[in-house]
Amino acid sequence: MLASVSPAQAKLFNGETFYLDNGLQVIVIPNHKAPIVKHMLWYKSGSVDERPGRGGSAHLLEHLMFRGTRKIPGTRFNDLMEENGAESNAFTGQDMTAYHQLLDISRLELAMFLEADRMRGLEVSDKDFGLERKIVFEERLQRIDNNPAAYFGEALRRSLWQEHPYARPVSGTAEEILQLTRQDIEDFYKTYYAPNNAVLVLAGDIDVPTARRLAEKYYGGLKKQKLPAPKEFPKLENSFNAKLRMSRPNIKSVRAGKNFAAPSYNVRPEEVYALSVLSAYMGEGETSKLHKKLVLRDKKALTAETAYDPAARSYGNFSIGAVPAPGVSPEDLLDSLDKAWAEALAELSVDEVEKTKQRMLAGLVYLRDNPEDAAYIAGAMTVAGVSWEEIENQENAIKQVTYKDVLKAARVLQNSPQVTGILEPEKGENR
Amino acid sequence: MTHPPLYRKSPYRGLKIVLLAVILIYGVAAGYRKYFRFNPETLVTESVLKNKNFEVPVEEIVSPKYKIKAYWFYDNTTPIVSMSFLFKNAGYATDGAEEQGIAQLAAALLTEGAGGLDGQAFKEALAERAIGIAFSAGKDDFQGSLLTTRDNLSRAAELLALALGQPRFDTGDVSRLKQHFYEALKRQKEQPASVLALELNQKLYGAHPYARNPLGKAETIAAISRADLRRFVRDNLSRQNLIAGIAGDISREEAESLLDEVFGVLNDNGRINFVRDAEVDFSARRFEIKYPSGQIMSVKAARGVRRDDADFYPLFVANQILGGSGLTSRLSKEIREEKGLTYGVYSYLGLDDKSPLLMAGFASSPDKYREAERLFEEQWQKMGTAGVSAAELEQAKKYLTASYNLRFASIMTIADILTAMQKYNLGLDFLQKRNAYVQNVTLEEVNRAAKKYFDRSRLVSAAIGGFEN
Repeated sequence: MLASVSPAQAKLFNGETFYLDNGLQVIVIPNHKAPIVKHMLWYKSGSVDERPGRGGSAHLLEHLMFRGTRKIPGTRFNDLMEENGAESNAFTGQDMTAYHQLLDISRLELAMFLEADRMRGLEVSDKDFGLERKIVFEERLQRIDNNPAAYFGEALRRSLWQEHPYARPVSGTAEEILQLTRQDIEDFYKTYYAPNNAVLVLAGDIDVPTARRLAEKYYGGLKKQKLPAPKEFPKLENSFNAKLRMSRPNIKSVRAGKNFAAPSYNVRPEEVYALSVLSAYMGEGETSKLHKKLVLRDKKALTAETAYDPAARSYGNFSIGAVPAPGVSPEDLLDSLDKAWAEALAELSVDEVEKTKQRMLAGLVYLRDNPEDAAYIAGAMTVAGVSWEEIENQENAIKQVTYKDVLKAARVLQNSPQVTGILEPEKGENR
Repeated sequence: MTHPPLYRKSPYRGLKIVLLAVILIYGVAAGYRKYFRFNPETLVTESVLKNKNFEVPVEEIVSPKYKIKAYWFYDNTTPIVSMSFLFKNAGYATDGAEEQGIAQLAAALLTEGAGGLDGQAFKEALAERAIGIAFSAGKDDFQGSLLTTRDNLSRAAELLALALGQPRFDTGDVSRLKQHFYEALKRQKEQPASVLALELNQKLYGAHPYARNPLGKAETIAAISRADLRRFVRDNLSRQNLIAGIAGDISREEAESLLDEVFGVLNDNGRINFVRDAEVDFSARRFEIKYPSGQIMSVKAARGVRRDDADFYPLFVANQILGGSGLTSRLSKEIREEKGLTYGVYSYLGLDDKSPLLMAGFASSPDKYREAERLFEEQWQKMGTAGVSAAELEQAKKYLTASYNLRFASIMTIADILTAMQKYNLGLDFLQKRNAYVQNVTLEEVNRAAKKYFDRSRLVSAAIGGFEN
């Protein structure tokens, strides 16, 4: 086949980035479909940055950020967002914490004022601290204790990550949450909430010069501060290979799978795009190899899929999940999974790699539709340490992956720390 | 010699000083207010990015051949196209009693191969061009969607027409998908939230089809044949009960011919099982299900209103104030923010065709549940008895109008809105008029509606978890 002339490389978002003098990175992604804007402020600190035993500090702080500052006391922040029609929320992860609002563009300056204000001015009463600690405790019960599969997910994470901070739940354990003090929260806030540890993302009906002017006006006055040295993460033993088998009351159906401590943008970054192609080839969608082999041909599984997330400050996460077909034991399924995986690798060819890449590229344009999606992707990758240039050039990076790269990435993955998990009903439960 | 006084004391000196001081203080205060003190109104009114009069121009189009009507909205910000469509009254509530689950099973199978393309070939054709085709069956309607890049529009139309016109229902795919349903039925029992929702439906609706499990029953699913599925498509998916909305980078002419190409494969009309309105006894009742879980989850149901009812906007606004928005609603402030008894408490208007509802819920640990429950009922009743204040009404209107544009973030959502506008007969100019509908609601109307619908003696409660006493 003759090589065709490909059009100029399309940028993923056609955005821009710049830094304020105080070190705040600003990302602007214009999208003029509707007069709205997504305003996100990401801090490059999350639960992994908590002091040992103080699990849940980052998350409780995220909640307390809605409980008032010296200038805007109590819950006035929420009232203001409400009367200005904003959808306002926040989330905490292992590596980061983010605050965000979707607003009419005429309300953007208000949101910027409030967000900049609470970066430094947090002032919470004892009563509100106590209340919010109760609320995050209830949140943990709602997310984990009301959901037996989520409980298994936490156990799997502990088995894989062992002494690595990724082993810990973002919420903290129930015991830790109840012991958190104001001092824990204040320490975290004072250490990490600074412009030079944050990324501001503006996606929507705004141009770059205006965004620059407003960022300067509202965030420019915040003082840069000395940050702790970049966190050192423990290195895991590559030969680590754990197994976890769990039965739970309420569990009615079997799940089996594997999780890997995989390469990321920070650990063996040269494997990231090849592993993305490998995941798409193996188990993303119902035309992938694992689906064809395990579900359609062998009839060992009802579903079989992979997922890969390389946006992390330490290792990334690669997972394979499957649900056994009726009458198939989880062990049998896992054996078949290994065989199907090996077979699919043996069938990998230049053509298969090109076909997979084509599928991945065909869908990239959709990411430009919704400014909320764009802001989320841009922010998550940036706080994981990916440069703006690299984010914009995803298309090119995927195009450059070769057949040999994918084979090598598969070998790296096979030799990565991993855990195999089975979740099943308790004995006597009707399957 | 006496020196002349260096200055003559003016008789008004004291006054002048006072005046000067007043002017100075006023000036400094004004400057302070403007430049230092926080003033949220000024931040909005003096914003460099002004509020735009954003009017989504929706037009009605008619296809040349089959005269199919649809709503269309053009936007070329991104080179993508989305079509949302639904077949009215073809949702799972219309499933025959002996074939419960057929609407959802058919929805799952429509993307499992069509015409000359078996399941894998069909999915390859979608994946290589990142075309999205999806179907689902709700309670009332059978829904579908198409998402494609502009470049692949003609191939996307071809595949969607194939899926609707010549579904294969290959035996292997049918039995595999049935296994998925059996699995999903088991998983419903793993989650207290879904156990509770199923139980509440049964208690509310009894013999009415709304009482059914959305997935059907294992026995009825097992009995569904290929012929049944073909008949389902023929009878339920026709141009007679079709509603469609098209948004994105597609011209009027292209949109009109898309309608013909895709829906031309369907019959002019079909045969749909009639579902009567549900008669529900809303008198206060309480069900508790023992279940091992961390919290107790509680859901509530009361009579609601149809979308076209005169009480809709007043009740919509009243609900917004009680439990409709984030952390500032009365329920949230009372039960979460002031007491820390729950992570979240909410209420909303359910608009199912045959039984409009007011719904609410929260989850609390067993030691806090009774207190949360008491406060919830107190707030519910207070809404009915005392209504809302003018200030609360103003605040709610501000939120509802200022947030309206936020829903136009994605092309797929816009296409869905176009379809909903037709389903509820809101009119072509609805998006221009909607904020006025909200603004025009008066305090009297809100309080009259609140009194009519928020009544503790007309509230059904169901809860699940490990109760303490």
